[in-house]
Amino acid sequence: MIARRGGCGSTLRMALPKGALYAESVALLARAGLDVTGLADPGRQLTVRAGGIEYIIGKPTDIPVYVAYGGVDVAIAGKDVLLEADLDIAEMADLGYGACRFVVAESEDAPRSVAELYRHLGVIRVATKYPRITEAHYAERGLQVEIVKLSGNIELAPLIGLADQVVDITASGRTLAENRLRIVDEVLSSTARFVANPVSLKTDSERVTGLAEALAAAALGQKG
Amino acid sequence: MQPVLPRGFRDVLFDEARERESITSAITTLFSSWGYDPVETPVVEEYRTLEAGVGEGLERTAFRLFDLDGALLALRPEMTVPIARVVASRLAGSPGPHRIRYAGDVFREHASLRGQARQFTQVGTELIGAGGAAFDAEIVLLLIGALEAAGLESFLIGIGTVEVLHALLGRAGGSAEWQAEAVAAAQSRNLVELDRLAARADLPEPLAEALREVPRTHGDRTALERCRQLTAACGCDAALETLSATWDILDDLGVTGRAQLDFGLMRSVAYYTGLQLEAYAPGLGLPLAGGGRYDNVLSTYGHPAPAAGFALGLERVMIALAEQDRSPALDPLDAVIGGALPASVFRSAELLRQAGWRVRVATDLEGLDLVRDADARSAAEALVVRGDDILRLDRAGEPATTVGHPVPAPPRLTWASRGGAL
Repeated sequence: MIARRGGCGSTLRMALPKGALYAESVALLARAGLDVTGLADPGRQLTVRAGGIEYIIGKPTDIPVYVAYGGVDVAIAGKDVLLEADLDIAEMADLGYGACRFVVAESEDAPRSVAELYRHLGVIRVATKYPRITEAHYAERGLQVEIVKLSGNIELAPLIGLADQVVDITASGRTLAENRLRIVDEVLSSTARFVANPVSLKTDSERVTGLAEALAAAALGQKG
Repeated sequence: MQPVLPRGFRDVLFDEARERESITSAITTLFSSWGYDPVETPVVEEYRTLEAGVGEGLERTAFRLFDLDGALLALRPEMTVPIARVVASRLAGSPGPHRIRYAGDVFREHASLRGQARQFTQVGTELIGAGGAAFDAEIVLLLIGALEAAGLESFLIGIGTVEVLHALLGRAGGSAEWQAEAVAAAQSRNLVELDRLAARADLPEPLAEALREVPRTHGDRTALERCRQLTAACGCDAALETLSATWDILDDLGVTGRAQLDFGLMRSVAYYTGLQLEAYAPGLGLPLAGGGRYDNVLSTYGHPAPAAGFALGLERVMIALAEQDRSPALDPLDAVIGGALPASVFRSAELLRQAGWRVRVATDLEGLDLVRDADARSAAEALVVRGDDILRLDRAGEPATTVGHPVPAPPRLTWASRGGAL
């Protein structure tokens, strides 16, 4: 698949992730000296045009797809969704914010330990929103798993007996603790990244690399 | 039952198929004018033969199958390695260089729901048995020529080399793991990861700077100079020689306006040893073509020879043409011809064809039905045979004027407006 952008002209397209990274992303763009009019409170608008850039506001997990297939030139995306998507995307700068960890967690109240269950049953049942990262993690540990992909509220899976462990992202660990799950292993940590479509990086390299440098500088706390 | 195709495969019909034919023929005619001759290879290869040539990447992309003997086979995921196999085996005794062209279907596995085709068509060339700047330049010129022949107005060629990174990594040393990570980061264009790897404590600063900056360097001759500075500081500037000489040739020919040097260009195929080549169209997020120099592939088959080439993705070229409103113009149908006596209809149709007409025979149609059929097929004329005469039908389906003797040139050539409107 390949995005077809009829009359794309000279406007650079940047995708921004809704949700947790959004406010800090807009703040970073502003610190880097970009015009962010209309971005702070876009309401239901999914596209905003400001300062010669067309911003596309998308679901975080869809952003790698937008970038890899050329629907947008550049984007801000979490390292977590980039890893999970595993698409051909140029990673230009680590923006530092949006730090979160991927962890393995299990129920504090389970009658039998996961290790004991594994000894008897030979497989650990794992629920996650991130099957690819999860699969790689357990493969590295040499553990046999059955992975079930859920769309949200992963904490519920052990409560309803669907899974022995979960792999999920957490910033503070509070949601996990509130659901009586304890962290037993670290998978990886993630921050927001500035990424580019590999072809946009070649054909529009001045603007793409210019933006990468400006955002990286702003992320370091300097004026971009 | 409702028949379905496996995901990622599709049928190609009529207009699209004719456009594919037309573009392929324009490109292969250009290759042929450079003295490149066609080679066809089977779509199926022994898996281990492919694996020896393609390297690690094959495992993720190969479409595998077992035959009745239990042999592990794979559909070819690209054309370069099968052609290298041919040259290293059947052409091993004949003097090179071999200039080979091909147009063929290739097959790659993809996870579901990624919207990716599992079969697509590559049109390309391989120049095997010669290395050096002049031969690299020939490959670049062929790619530019092919894109022009296909009808593209707007495109950009990216030119790089893997030699610089290989030289820098050679100087950098370090663990095998660090080396592998650096190559992987360069291939996936992960600058964040390259920066991290360049921060290795024991790395001298000029090397660290070159590892950070070289992949970010692109542009015209200034980029070459910048890269020379960075690599000279680590004693690696010899790695730039071939690319620099290639650029000089292209510059001399005045074609560098459509090209850019790109030291971040590292195609994700392990076998490349020198030149890196990609073609882009504005607004399309994936390259139209890719290629480069692969001097070690033939030695894996026991007959070392330098080699370079590229492949265009026919489907992507067609998308780019459609985006630039430059899809090839297809010859419309000149006429549909009917009449009561099949033999005289065939005879008249043959007369028209000899005069260059594109004619469809409809011995089962007459009158208004024939006019409607001609309309539906966008034919310029609805004709009917009466005795020795070929007559034009009017809008009411009545015979009007005669086509005349001798048969005139076909409407699509004589009418001012191409497109076959009645």
